[in-house]
Amino acid sequence: MKKRIPEQAFMLSFICLLIGFMVAILFNSNNHPEGRDTRDTWEIRTALLEEQQVQQDLYQEIRKEEEMLNEYQEQSEHQQMEAIKESIETLRTEAGLSEKSGTGVEISLLPLFLNQEKQAYPTLHAEFLHQLINQLNAAGAEDIAIENQRLIAISPIRMVNGSIYVNNSSIGDLPYIIHVLAEDVEKLKLQLESSEIHDYFALEDVEIEISEPQPVTLPPYDEVIDLQEIHTQDNLEKDEE
Amino acid sequence: MWLPALFLIIGLCIGILTNVSIPADYINYLSIAVLAALDTLFGGIRAQLEEKFDQSVFVSGFFFNVSLAALLAFLGTQLGIDLYLAAIFAFGVRLFNNLASIRRILLLKYKQRKDAV
Repeated sequence: MKKRIPEQAFMLSFICLLIGFMVAILFNSNNHPEGRDTRDTWEIRTALLEEQQVQQDLYQEIRKEEEMLNEYQEQSEHQQMEAIKESIETLRTEAGLSEKSGTGVEISLLPLFLNQEKQAYPTLHAEFLHQLINQLNAAGAEDIAIENQRLIAISPIRMVNGSIYVNNSSIGDLPYIIHVLAEDVEKLKLQLESSEIHDYFALEDVEIEISEPQPVTLPPYDEVIDLQEIHTQDNLEKDEE
Repeated sequence: MWLPALFLIIGLCIGILTNVSIPADYINYLSIAVLAALDTLFGGIRAQLEEKFDQSVFVSGFFFNVSLAALLAFLGTQLGIDLYLAAIFAFGVRLFNNLASIRRILLLKYKQRKDAV
């Protein structure tokens, strides 16, 4: 009897050890989801600087809005009307609802014929236009019009029955003319010229030609902006409540 | 009785101190294996209290249940059926049954001792 008990206890203990080990591993595995922060001091400092810049920008914006509010409150009724009209005009310009002129570039998308005898007339897919618009925005473009269709924040570029529709109207076949306004046109032009998007377009037999900086006038967006499904964040939160 | 408890704590310490962790994909299997192990452990305690503890049943039950549970979970993943839920349910029910029995036996023993006094 005395001999059996230690052996039994040993086996039991061993199994308890296993159970404890398994539970601990499970505990460890469930408690290590977050990755380690491996940034060094310099990187953290840079990130902090960026955040500070954002904060400063926000403060500036608040100050601007407060100044505007003060202006409204201090002015007489007639002046208030003027100020509101001015604000509306500014907002319309920002939203792309009014004509806008300035220095910009004209980008032409032309068919590229390498082998004239055997080649079909090239067509472009809407995805390529998306890519180009993204590149333009990344290079600092402020306003863009494709074939005299002004791009606003909610402008769709879609492929419908094999042709590209911008703002729900077809822009036909190649060539396409794109007008771009930017603050620093020269920089935009250089960035675009050095971009590899030329190669992607060349694969589709399309050539991108960028004009020298020149005065450009963009047409206004001429359709009704449908904001039915667009809500502000506050409203959404209220709805959810 | 104190030796298994000590080893349980040692096992916990080893696990926590070595900082071993398994990939998130396998957590399901391990959790179900742990559940099976706990079930076997409580079953063992109950059997001990009922004085019909058999070591071979206990040891084989431990390894068999743990591997079967993990296998079931694995099979469920392969087939796209949440079979591990079935295992969790079964083991959970058994765990509570065992705990209830243990409590009842302990209460009974306590009462008997009280009556004897």
